[in-house]
Amino acid sequence: MQTFILAGGFATRLWPLTEKRAKPLLPLAGHPIIEHLINAIPADFPVTVSTNAAFAEGFRAWIAILNRPVSLVVEESKSDRQKTGALGALAEWIAQENIEEDVLLLTGDNYLGFSMEQFLAAYQQGTPLLAAHDLKNLSKAALFGTVITDPQDSTLVTGFEEKPLNPKTTLVSTGCSVIPKETLPVLKSFAALHPDNIGGIFEEFLRHHIPVRCFTFTEPWLDVGSFDSYLAAHRLLVGEQTLLAEGAAVTDSVCSGGIAIGRGSHIRKSELHNCIVFENCEIRDCILRDCVIDNSCMLQGVDLTGKMLREGTILRLT
Amino acid sequence: MARHRFLLFLWLGSDALLFIGSFVLAYFVRVGWIFSSNFPFAPFLTIVIVTAPLWLIIQISQRTFRLTETQTDLRHFLSLVWSNVVGIALFSLAYFFAYDLFTSRLLLVEALLFSTIILWIWHMIFTFIARRSLWRDPAAFPTLIVGATREAAKLIEMLQRRKNPLKPVAILDGRGTSLMTLHGVPVIGKLDKLEETLERFHISHLIQCSDLEQSLNLLSVCRNRSLTYLLLPSVLGIVERDERVESLENVAVMIVRPQGRSA
Repeated sequence: MQTFILAGGFATRLWPLTEKRAKPLLPLAGHPIIEHLINAIPADFPVTVSTNAAFAEGFRAWIAILNRPVSLVVEESKSDRQKTGALGALAEWIAQENIEEDVLLLTGDNYLGFSMEQFLAAYQQGTPLLAAHDLKNLSKAALFGTVITDPQDSTLVTGFEEKPLNPKTTLVSTGCSVIPKETLPVLKSFAALHPDNIGGIFEEFLRHHIPVRCFTFTEPWLDVGSFDSYLAAHRLLVGEQTLLAEGAAVTDSVCSGGIAIGRGSHIRKSELHNCIVFENCEIRDCILRDCVIDNSCMLQGVDLTGKMLREGTILRLT
Repeated sequence: MARHRFLLFLWLGSDALLFIGSFVLAYFVRVGWIFSSNFPFAPFLTIVIVTAPLWLIIQISQRTFRLTETQTDLRHFLSLVWSNVVGIALFSLAYFFAYDLFTSRLLLVEALLFSTIILWIWHMIFTFIARRSLWRDPAAFPTLIVGATREAAKLIEMLQRRKNPLKPVAILDGRGTSLMTLHGVPVIGKLDKLEETLERFHISHLIQCSDLEQSLNLLSVCRNRSLTYLLLPSVLGIVERDERVESLENVAVMIVRPQGRSA
């Protein structure tokens, strides 16, 4: 089975953290978000990551230090307005590489708490499978695309609803699915018309009377799309720990909640609560709560709450 | 030399000449169109020339020579009157110290009147010319607007109408507006296009009209690139135009003082 990871978004809601890096490469508990996915994929599955021209270099650098081979497909777009669409990128890769295998399709900015082994074990040859998270809350489900299943067979999908006002189910669609090789022609013809409608492919399968199965899970699932969801994912994975990367140091400081300090960063005489500090930052005499500090920032004597700071920011209270 | 620097020097020079010219005019109006032996012209002119640079310093301290500010409002007029009153006082003092004599009181009144009227008219003419020169492409101060809000639209319209030297050339909107242009200014995209936009349009000024949560990051960009950062008070929720930037124990603070409050 081939693995195709979608990482072609521009993540504008996470600006300025995504100014120079793709969202899947944002650090989460000491590793890029995408690496948590990669580690869950069986070692014998070839992996391809699809990204855009703006972030290609970042992915090349990441692949160079990764301990497993990953291919990179680069979509020649440099902005949101030029994007060809996730499904279009997938169809193009299938055509170019002449893929005739099942495809494990993942979204690079998702954190999946379930066992990939169990998910793949639920796959029946020739039947599309998608992972559906049970939110167990109808009002929360209204914010996502919901997956409606057969009352007699809870694994058989009968329909989808996009952000319904009155959801019929608490199951929501996630960025993890298996596309069987038998259905690739349907995918290619649908992608030609709707290159940006990746979720719509399963509805298209149903329209073609191809049964779709779902794997329901209740373990954590996080779609890192905003500052809040990024911090939520950080809190989930880091818990109450303080993670220090190589060369990082925290001295005379109070840390609470989840703290992740990147390589070469130094924290002195400060209070930190639920913070992510990237690489080579100098923080002194600061109080930071729920903040994400990008590379090479220098902060002194400031109190910040709920801020994302751009790379190279210098704030010194004089 | 950059266009705005040249214009600034031209403005300072022309103002000094007009200040001197106003005194010369007052002299001839007072004594008649002759060089009087009772009231010699040369010592008078010398003192006026000596006073002119000091008067210019008073003008500079009053922030008169700002190409981005309108010259037609009452505040500017009063500031000009004040500078000229101080200029007249400086002249009188200098004349007294130099020659142990007081000069004609009516001449001083006329000099004040002429300098105020002439300079007031000249400032309006000069800024009219200067603004057109600075506005001409390539603009002297290409300005980036952050936020495609109604406040931003009003600001752009006003800057365009008055040909303010801060010429809006591009807009970024953190929330991703569907608008393609605002008063003819292109909406380039979201904030992820910031670096590219700053490069492409050679931005010199950034005016933040929304996205308060990104103030720190926009300031950081401006500091790193030596750009001038401006913030519309409406971003902070101050919309009634009763705000002032003042200082509290030498710390700069923005003060909103609703009408009727004295402190």
